[in-house]
Amino acid sequence: MPNGVVFVVDDDPSVRSSLKFLISTVGLQVETFESAEAALQKLSPDAPSCLVLDVRLRGLSGLDLQGELAARNCQVPIVFITGHGDIPMTVRAMKAGAVEFLTKPFRDQDLLDAVRIALERDRARRQRESERTELQQRFDSLTSREREVISLVVAGKLNKEIAHQLGTAENTIKVHRSRAVEKMHAQSVAELVRMMEKIKGVAKKAS
Amino acid sequence: MSSASMSRANVPLEDSIPEAGAPLESILCTEKLQRRPSRPPDYEKENRALVGLMSALADSPSSIFQRLAETILDITQCESAGLSLLTRDGKKPDVCGKRFYWPAIAGMWNPHVGGGTPRNFGPCGDVLDQNRTLLFTHFERRYPYLMPVFPAAEECLLVPFYVAGTAVGTIWAIMHTDGRKFDAEDDRVMASLGKFASSAYQAQIHIEDLKIQVAEREKAEAEVRELAKGLEAKIRRLVEANVVGIVTWNLVGAITGANDAFLRMVQYDREDLDSGRVRWTDLTPAEWRGCAERAVADLKATGIFQPFEKEYFRKDGSRVPALVGGALFEGSGNEGLAFVLDLSAQKRAQERLQEAQQSLYTTQVELARVSRLTTMGELTASIAHEVNQPLTAITNNGSACLRLLANRNLDPEVLQRALEEIVADGTRASAVISRIRAFIKKTPEQRNQVNIKDVIQEVLALASQEIQKNQILVECEFTKTPTLVLADRVQTQQVLLNLIMNGIEAMTEVTDRPRVLQVKSGINESGDVLIAVRDSGTGFSADRDSVFTPFFTTKASGMGMGLPISRSLIEGHGGHLWAEPNVPNGAVFSFTLPIPTRVAHA
Repeated sequence: MPNGVVFVVDDDPSVRSSLKFLISTVGLQVETFESAEAALQKLSPDAPSCLVLDVRLRGLSGLDLQGELAARNCQVPIVFITGHGDIPMTVRAMKAGAVEFLTKPFRDQDLLDAVRIALERDRARRQRESERTELQQRFDSLTSREREVISLVVAGKLNKEIAHQLGTAENTIKVHRSRAVEKMHAQSVAELVRMMEKIKGVAKKAS
Repeated sequence: MSSASMSRANVPLEDSIPEAGAPLESILCTEKLQRRPSRPPDYEKENRALVGLMSALADSPSSIFQRLAETILDITQCESAGLSLLTRDGKKPDVCGKRFYWPAIAGMWNPHVGGGTPRNFGPCGDVLDQNRTLLFTHFERRYPYLMPVFPAAEECLLVPFYVAGTAVGTIWAIMHTDGRKFDAEDDRVMASLGKFASSAYQAQIHIEDLKIQVAEREKAEAEVRELAKGLEAKIRRLVEANVVGIVTWNLVGAITGANDAFLRMVQYDREDLDSGRVRWTDLTPAEWRGCAERAVADLKATGIFQPFEKEYFRKDGSRVPALVGGALFEGSGNEGLAFVLDLSAQKRAQERLQEAQQSLYTTQVELARVSRLTTMGELTASIAHEVNQPLTAITNNGSACLRLLANRNLDPEVLQRALEEIVADGTRASAVISRIRAFIKKTPEQRNQVNIKDVIQEVLALASQEIQKNQILVECEFTKTPTLVLADRVQTQQVLLNLIMNGIEAMTEVTDRPRVLQVKSGINESGDVLIAVRDSGTGFSADRDSVFTPFFTTKASGMGMGLPISRSLIEGHGGHLWAEPNVPNGAVFSFTLPIPTRVAHA
């Protein structure tokens, strides 16, 4: 079982404490909340984490909380648990990105599996996120000329073509290019291309 | 032939043109009045004459002119004296009149009273034109119109007669012989008497006017009295019709009169009324005295009191509710009339309505409970949730313990805490189940005579909102005579409501045909009551008996308990509940209830 924090939201104290007990047997840290509102206030995970969320809650429902988190761009994976779920409800939750939808009472293994999957998913997402952030920082450290050169390199142009296009000497392009590759910590042009694609993905998502 | 009739007969037609007579100057000798030796004034005689005129005015005002003529005759010692008034109608003095009228003449010309001349056919016209005293001698020379009037005038003295400052006539004195000649003193006395007569005449006119006014007023009053007599007859009709109580009363508290309707209302008889024992103050219960006092205050301020509701004591001490309104008699200040309307019937109706509303409310509350049970949707979801919570906790705790045990990592303290929680949650789950059971069996089963038609109508009323919302057409068919069954009313309602709600729900998606819900009660061949609920909905997709299997449901929210519970309730009553497809669409749910009353009667 990977490391991580599991946030449990259930308005029933027995269910809350039993879930905490069960999940802690696999060595995971558990934090519990009695309402969606309380979870929204305190939920700011900086370590890999997931949410075990009851659908029926007093105040905001579990599905409402899912929507609210999405609106805040908080991508914590969610495992739904419910006492009386129906098909439309399940479909809605899964479409909105839930990891699993479990009906109470559930098998312990089913829950722990869902939690593991959720944590792994979050860890992977975080890793991608930090990679992208790192790459973006490297990219941001380039001069505008270096960025210009690099974008043409990625587009598959030769140094000579780039020099011609930018109206400068081929040697100057070579200097820009090697500095940019060095600043981006790329081992090869192929790696640089992959890096640029990852950054573009971020840019695309952000826009 | 009398001189009067002769004179009238000889008077020429008024519109005939007089022959050109002698010029005015030739017959006037006015200036002689001043030249003739004048008699000394006899003031004593003149005063007596004035007193005489005054007393004539007091005794008989209409004779004032005749008295004036006689007085002139007496004082001037002439042979004829009289008055000419210019009139339009022959009576009232009018300056624009076309003719002189002779209202009074004394002396030799007395027979000519009532006669007269056209304005310019005699000396009077000239006097008015010149507006001064004129003395004529033999005026017939100028006025041939007067020629036939006998005896002829030797000398004639004319003085203008004024009414309200305007000359509208003359007073005149005539000497038919030359026995005496008029002098300045005659002029003065006649003018003086004329002034007095003028005032007297105006006073008389005023009195006449007053008389006319009085007469008119008396006539109007007579008309009002006549009218009142008619109105009185109408009011009497109202009083005697006895459709409302009518009383006369005074502010002190007495009832001075009442019609039979009022006496019946308060159960007193006419003897009680006549003896004065019936007083409205005594008939008014203490808590209504405030209202009565307000009414009295209104009466004193405005003369009427607006109708208000109060109660009266009957003779036996019971109370009768009434609407009372009335007014003071005009000018009496103390007595008045009132109508009293018996409100007993209205009050009874109102109470019955309230009772009906109360019982409707009770039914609604009861049915609301039934509906919570029967529609099951919300309830079953909540049951599932409430039971699932402790079960989930128990499972989680147990699983956790098993995991730790498998890893040989189970601390006994942890185990104890987990077991305690497991026990607590187990207890909680069973408490939930007990609560539900208690809720379902909230009222113990009570079997009573139940009119099945009433039950159907109550349930339809409860479902009316759903029926309207889903635009369902409801058709009912009942047996002609009331069908009574021995049943638990609430359970019967519960079953019917469940069937009706199912029917409605089965039709919500129907758009290509009318949504018809038919509820029919009748007697089947075994003599049991048969109630059928028929819909034009989607009907059965699977085996139709599976709908009675617990937890079978086709609904998104529903637990599939409604029909199994309904069937067990009906079977508990000794009846049957079954389902059939409806033709051409939908489903029919029917149930029977035995009629044990037949046995009871047998």
